[in-house]
Amino acid sequence: MRRWFLMVVLAQALPVVAFDLGGFDLEKAARAVQKVQKANADVSEPQEIELGGGIASGLLGAAPLLDNPPLQRYLNRVGRWIALQTERPDIPWQFGVLDDSDINAFAAPGGYVFVTKGLMARINSEAELAGVLAHEISHVLRKHHLQAIKKNTRSELLAALADDVIKSQGGDPRLNKLVSAGTELYARGLDKDDEYEADRMGVVLAARAGYDPYGLPAVLQTLESINPNDSSLALMFKTHPSFTLRLALLQGEMSPALDMYDGQPDLSKRFSAVLGGGR
Amino acid sequence: MSMQTFMMWMLMLCTPAVWASDAAFVIRDTELMERPYRDARVLESLPARSKVAVLQRLSGWTEVQVGKQRGWVKMLSLQLEPGAAGRRADNGLRTLFNVAQTGHGSASITTGIRGLSEEQLRNLHPDPQALQRARQYAASREDAARFAADGGLKASKVDYLQGGKK
Repeated sequence: MRRWFLMVVLAQALPVVAFDLGGFDLEKAARAVQKVQKANADVSEPQEIELGGGIASGLLGAAPLLDNPPLQRYLNRVGRWIALQTERPDIPWQFGVLDDSDINAFAAPGGYVFVTKGLMARINSEAELAGVLAHEISHVLRKHHLQAIKKNTRSELLAALADDVIKSQGGDPRLNKLVSAGTELYARGLDKDDEYEADRMGVVLAARAGYDPYGLPAVLQTLESINPNDSSLALMFKTHPSFTLRLALLQGEMSPALDMYDGQPDLSKRFSAVLGGGR
Repeated sequence: MSMQTFMMWMLMLCTPAVWASDAAFVIRDTELMERPYRDARVLESLPARSKVAVLQRLSGWTEVQVGKQRGWVKMLSLQLEPGAAGRRADNGLRTLFNVAQTGHGSASITTGIRGLSEEQLRNLHPDPQALQRARQYAASREDAARFAADGGLKASKVDYLQGGKK
């Protein structure tokens, strides 16, 4: 009896290798713990970009790029210039105007940013455009979508992504699941605090890039006055806090902190020239 | 000159006049200043909900007309009357883009292509080739810097805002 007890104690002291103690598989448990650790670990930058590319492809499947090369190039220059003023200047930033009449803008992990032509048509200057792009860029900088996807998907899927076993080319069903979780977010929206943070960062990034920092609030003010029953704003209203609340928060934050950038240009003439001459 | 271009110019020419009629109101007690500066002379104190006509925006300031008086108020003390943006943001691009005129009065209809609806976002047909095509428009560091210099944009260091109360 005593000898048997000693054997058990010794066995437990051994390294944990496939030891079956009364049906409890230690090795399996250890693997599970590892998986959870991986799921919580940061998704690497290449993996973030791959996931974002999948989500961006999804968006482009729903609304194609507007066929206006000069405008697309212009948008990419404004966007990249702002991105250069951030903590992630050199991820493969990609901007695009979507051929869609709804008023909206989207960001995907890894540096993908899209604006609808419906929103473009309500913007009055390059500084306003910069404000919108800077808001979306901020979502990418803070990885808001990535965090939301993490929160809402099964940990095995993210562990697979973190393991880099997912290859998008082959249409891996696990990547597809993550991508659809990512695109569904656009129908559901991010946390309100993420939106407020992107507003707060967006006005600063516009100022850093040399623009009038009031471009973003000007766009929000324009949109605030559109009839809320207007169907072109339906998704925006569903997925974002109210414009009035966002403007009230910006009002409290921007002045006097950003007053000294009041005189920066809005480049409304360059904006009109590109939009008017782009066809 | 194509009809489209002609229409665009007509709309652009008409814009300032139409802008002048943009109705707005102040959302809190606000001082009407002689110039768009914090320490400019105060012309008048406007109580909350005073109606004004918007003339132009200059960064954080908006020039308004109140009765016969013209002056400047902080842009974020204003709210445009519903429907004002229907005119305010119509720089002619909506005609060009074939985007419906919305926001006029009570009846606003959106026509044109139905796009990124909730339904569509839940049933996607990804288009990786389109993403490849989009790549050709990406801007390099040098390209972006040259573009900024052309516009007279100068980068500066600005700290992120902390964000206090919600």
